[in-house]
Amino acid sequence: MSTTPLVAAEQLIRTYGTGEATVHALAGVTVELPAKQFTAIMGPSGSGKSTLMHVLAGLDRPTSGRVVLDGVDITGLDDGALTRLRRDRIGFVFQSFNLLSVLTAQENILLPLSIAGRAPDAAWVDQLVGVVGLTDRLHHRPAELSGGQQQRVAVARALASRPAIVFADEPTGNLDSATSAEVLALLRRSVDEFDQTIVMVTHDPGAAAIADRIITLRDGRIVSDERAGDGIAVAERA
Amino acid sequence: MRKVALRGLLARRVRLALTALAVALGVMLIAGTYVFTDTINSSFDRIFTSSLAKTDVAVTPNDDLTSDGFEGVDPIPADILQRIQGLPGVAAASGGLFDESGTILDREGEPISNGAPNFIASRAQLDRFEAFDVAEGRMPSGPGEVALDKSTAERKDLEVGGTVDVIGREPRKRYTIVGTVQIAGADSFGGAGVALMTLPEAQRMTGKRGAFDQIDVAAAEGTGAEALRRTIREALPARYDVRTGEQEAAQLSDDIREQFGFLTTALLAFAGIALFVGAFIIFNTFSITVAQRAREFALLRTLGASRRQVMRSVLTEGAVLGALGSAVGLGLGILVAKGLKAMFYAIGFDVPAQGTVLETRTIVVSLAVGILVTLVASLAPALRATRVPPVAALREGVAMPETRSSRLAFPLAVVLTSAGIAALVAALAVVSDTTTGLTLAGIGAAATFIGVGLMSPKLVGPIAAVVGRPLSRRLTGRLARENAVRQPGRTAATAAALMIGVALVSFASIFAASAKETVAGYIDRGLIGDVVVQNKDGFTPFSGGARELLAALPGVDDVAAFRFAQVRIDGEDKGVTGVDPDTIGAVYDVTSGDDVIAGLKDGEIAVSSDYAEDEGLRAGSVLTVRTARRAQLRLRVAGTYEDKAELLGARVMSNETVGREIGASRDSYLFLGLADGAAARAAVERALRRDFPQIEALTAEEFKDDQAAQIDQLLGLIYALLALAIIVSLFGIVNTLALSITERTRELGMLRAIGTSRRQVRSMIRQESMIIAVIGGVLGLAVGVVLAIVFTTAIGDIELHVPASSLVVLLVLSAVAGVLAAALPARRAARLNVLDALAHE
Ligand SMILES: Nc1ncnc2c1ncn2[C@@H]1O[C@H](COP(=O)(O)OP(=O)(O)OP(=O)(O)O)[C@@H](O)[C@H]1O
Ligand SMILES: [Mg+2]
Repeated sequence: MSTTPLVAAEQLIRTYGTGEATVHALAGVTVELPAKQFTAIMGPSGSGKSTLMHVLAGLDRPTSGRVVLDGVDITGLDDGALTRLRRDRIGFVFQSFNLLSVLTAQENILLPLSIAGRAPDAAWVDQLVGVVGLTDRLHHRPAELSGGQQQRVAVARALASRPAIVFADEPTGNLDSATSAEVLALLRRSVDEFDQTIVMVTHDPGAAAIADRIITLRDGRIVSDERAGDGIAVAERA
Repeated sequence: MRKVALRGLLARRVRLALTALAVALGVMLIAGTYVFTDTINSSFDRIFTSSLAKTDVAVTPNDDLTSDGFEGVDPIPADILQRIQGLPGVAAASGGLFDESGTILDREGEPISNGAPNFIASRAQLDRFEAFDVAEGRMPSGPGEVALDKSTAERKDLEVGGTVDVIGREPRKRYTIVGTVQIAGADSFGGAGVALMTLPEAQRMTGKRGAFDQIDVAAAEGTGAEALRRTIREALPARYDVRTGEQEAAQLSDDIREQFGFLTTALLAFAGIALFVGAFIIFNTFSITVAQRAREFALLRTLGASRRQVMRSVLTEGAVLGALGSAVGLGLGILVAKGLKAMFYAIGFDVPAQGTVLETRTIVVSLAVGILVTLVASLAPALRATRVPPVAALREGVAMPETRSSRLAFPLAVVLTSAGIAALVAALAVVSDTTTGLTLAGIGAAATFIGVGLMSPKLVGPIAAVVGRPLSRRLTGRLARENAVRQPGRTAATAAALMIGVALVSFASIFAASAKETVAGYIDRGLIGDVVVQNKDGFTPFSGGARELLAALPGVDDVAAFRFAQVRIDGEDKGVTGVDPDTIGAVYDVTSGDDVIAGLKDGEIAVSSDYAEDEGLRAGSVLTVRTARRAQLRLRVAGTYEDKAELLGARVMSNETVGREIGASRDSYLFLGLADGAAARAAVERALRRDFPQIEALTAEEFKDDQAAQIDQLLGLIYALLALAIIVSLFGIVNTLALSITERTRELGMLRAIGTSRRQVRSMIRQESMIIAVIGGVLGLAVGVVLAIVFTTAIGDIELHVPASSLVVLLVLSAVAGVLAAALPARRAARLNVLDALAHE
C-alpha cells in the first residue's frame, strides 16, 4: 500500500447542534484509503459511521477538516461540482430505496450513465450483469425482484460507471444471511477482479470479515484500524 | 378526534393554503358578482330616489312592450300636461325629456361610447323637479348650450367653455359646454352619457316637439301622494302609467335590476364553473392525503376509533378548509368587485358603483356554497378512509383496498357521460323554456365532465405514452412519463380539472368560429347591395334621417332600410322586421318569396313558411297583434317567404306600417346599391362623417369582419372569465406535484446522491407536469369538440367550423401552463437536501 491514497481525510470534525446539545458525530477522524482496497467501517449505533461515509463521499460537509478524493479537495467544491463528482467518480449502495420502482432492472443499472448522458460500455455492462447473475431478470421492475436481487442490481448500478470508489451503507442490513452472502461476494469480486475500491459501513462482524481492512469507530473517533481476519493492527490511534 | 383533524391540518399548512385557494377563487367570483351588482343597484336606487325626491306623482307612457330597447312608445303630448295642471290637488307639474336616442361625440368626432346609451335630457322647467346638480359652470339656458355629466366630460376631456357635438333624431349639431352635472352625488348616470339641454332644444333634437317623456307632479299642501296619484290615474287614458314618486323610483330600480340580472347570472355561471373545477381538486387532494395517511387512520382504528370517527375527522378537515377558503374568497370578492368596475370602465361603461355594498346574502351564500362544495368533494375520500383495515397499521406498504365502487367506475363513467350528452341534446333541441334549458344544459355538461373525469384513469396511460414518447429519449423525460402514470387516478383527477377549462375554451372558440362562418355565409347569400350602413357599435338603431340623407346623394341607386321591432302575439313577445318593399329586392336576396316581400302593402305582414306552417297561416289570413301604440292591430297575411340568410326572421312588414303602428322609426341597417366607381362610396362616407358620425358604411367584407370582431369581443370576455377556472386547475397541478414529491422524497434523494443534478430534477418535475397538463388538454379538446358538434347539430342553424390552429395553440398553451405550474414544486424538489431526503420517512 505505498501508492498515494485514493481518499485522504484529515482531522474531520462534524458536529450537530450548538451549546449543551452539541453532538460530535465525528470528533477528529484522520484516515487514508488506498485504491483497490475493501474497507469496512464498524462501530456501535450512533458512533458516526454513516456520517463519516457521507463526508467522505461529498454528501455532507465536515464542520472542519478536509477530504481529498482522487486528487481533488472536495471540501471546497460547490454543489454542482460535487454532483458531477458523485455522478462520475463515486458509486453508492444504500440499505434500502436503492432502485427507482418505475424503471426496469437494466434501466436502473444504467441510471448513472443515463443521468450523465454517457453511452454505456456494452461489454462492461454485459460482464457486470453476468457477474451479478441477473441476465434473465433485466426487464423486470424492482417490485418483481427479491430483496437480494434488488441489492445486486444496486451493486451493479454502483459499478456500471466504473467509479473511482463505491460507498455502501449497510448494504446487507435488510437481507437474510444467505442473500447477504451473495451481495458480499459480489462486492468482494469487484475488488478482486475489477480492482474496485469499496468502503462499506456495517454492523455485522461477519460481513466485515470479508473486507481487507476494518476500521472501528466509537463516539466519533477511530478506535481501531486493522487488517481483516488476522487481527493485526495497521495503525493505532487514540 | 377533532384534535387529530385540526393538528393534521396545521401540520400541512402549505397544502392547506393551496387547497383552500381552489375553493376561494370560485367563491371570490360569487362574492365579487354580488358585491358588484348590489353596489350598482344601490347606486341606481340612490340616483332614482334622489331624482324623484320632489316628485309626488310621475306620469310616463306605458312602455310594457318596449322595455327591451325597442322603441315605439309615443311621448306625452302637451295637452296632457295641461290637463294634469288643471286637476285638484296639483301644486305644480312640468314635463321633461330623457331620450336615449342621442349620440355624443368626442373631440375626434367619434361616439363617446360603444354600448352604453347616450341620453338627451331636458333641464327641468321647475327647479323643484331638477334631478341634476351643477358640478361646474351652470345649467344650459339657450338653444346652443349643453351641460354634460361629469364622468363623460372628464373621461373624454370635454371642458366647460369648449364645444361638443351631439346627434339626435336631427343631424349633428355643435354646442357650447356651459357646465357639468352630477346626479345624486354620482358623476355618471349609470355609465350613460348625458347631454342636458333646455327643454325646447331637447324636444327639437329628439324629434319630440311639444311632448315629454315624463311629467313630474307635486301635490298641493294637504294632498297625499297616493290620493293625487288616484286623481291623475282617473283623469288619464290607460296608455299612461301613473305612479307615485316612490313607486316610479322602485319601478326604475326593478328595470335596472332586471337588466343587470343577466350579468349576475352570467358571472355566477362562471363562478360555478370555477367551483366545479375546484371540487375536482379538493377531491383529488383529499384522496391523495387519505392514501398517504392510511397508516395513521389504521393506527387510530387499532386504538379504538370507530369508522364514523375516522370519517368525521376527514370531514372536519374539509369543513375547516371550506370555511377558510370561502372566507378568503369573500375577502377577495370585495376586491374583485372593484376590479369588475374597472373592467367595465375600460370598455366604456362607467357604471355607478359608489362604496361597497356587502349584503348578508352575499356572506351567507359565499360561505355556504364554499363549505358545501368542499364537504361534497371530500365525502368520497372520507368514506375511503373508513375502509382502511386496522391491520394496515402493522404492515408495510398497504395499498388502499380496491372497492366495488372503483371497479364499477368505468361503466358508470360511460353511462354518466352518455346521460350528460343526452341531457345537453334535450336541453337544446326539446326544451323551449330558456331557464329550464340552461339549467338542464348545465347539468348535462357537469355530468359529461364528471363522466369523462371518471373514465380518464384508463385514458391516462395511453395518452401519456403518446405525449411522453418524444420526451422519453432523455432519462428525465422517461422518468417524468413513468411518474405521471404511476398513480393514474391521481393524474386523471388533476388532468380532469384542467380538462374542464380547456373543454369550455375550445368549445367557445369552435362555436365562435362556426358562428363567424355562418354569419359570413348569410352575408354572402343575402347581401347583393354594395354597402351596409350600421351604427359603429353594431347594434344601436339610428335616425331615419340617415336614410333620407343617403338616398338623396348622387351615385346612390338603391337604399333599403331594415328595422327591428317587437309585437305581442297571443301573449308572447315576437320580433318583426321592417323593410322597404320597393327597394329591398335590389340589395337583398330573399331565398324565395321575394315577390311577396316586394309586394307588401301597408297593413300587411309576410311570414316565413316555417312560421306559417306552425301557426296555420296562409295568404289572406288575418294575424292580430298588440303593439306599443295599438292594443289590437289586424294584419293581413300577404304570403310566405324563405330567407336562408336569416336577416328577416319570421315576420316582415313594411317600414311604413312598422313606423306608424308600432312606432319604430329608427333603422338598424341600410343596404345601399351604388353606382360603379369609388365616387359614390366616398360621397356616402363624407355625408355620414358630416351628419351621422356614429354610423358607418361597410362593404360585404368589412361587414363580415365587423360581425366577426363583435363575436371575438364576446369570446374574449368568455376567455377572461374561463381563465379563472383554468387558474384553479393549475393550482391543482401544483398541489398534486407537491404531494407526489413529498411521497417520492427518498427516491429523489437517491437520484441526487448518485449524481442527478438539480437541473435534471427540475426538468423531470416540469416534464411530469407538462404531461399531466397535456393529458388535460387532449381530453379537454376532445370534450370541447364533442360539445361543439352536439350544440351545432342541436341548434341546426349553425355550420360547424373547427378552427384547427386555435386548438393546436390551446394544446401548446396547456403544455406551457403545465410547465409554469411546476415552477415551485420543481424548485422545491431540486432544493431537497440529499441526506435529509434519504432519511425521509
Ligand atoms: N441530522 C442530524 N442532526 C443531529 N444529530 C445527528 C444528525 N445525524 C446524525 N446525528 C448524530 O450524530 C451521531 C452519529 O450518527 P451516525 O448516523 O453517523 O451514526 P451511525 O454510526 O451511522 O449509527 P447507526 O449504526 O445507528 O446507523 C449520532 O449521535 C446521531 O444522533
Ligand atoms: Mg448509519
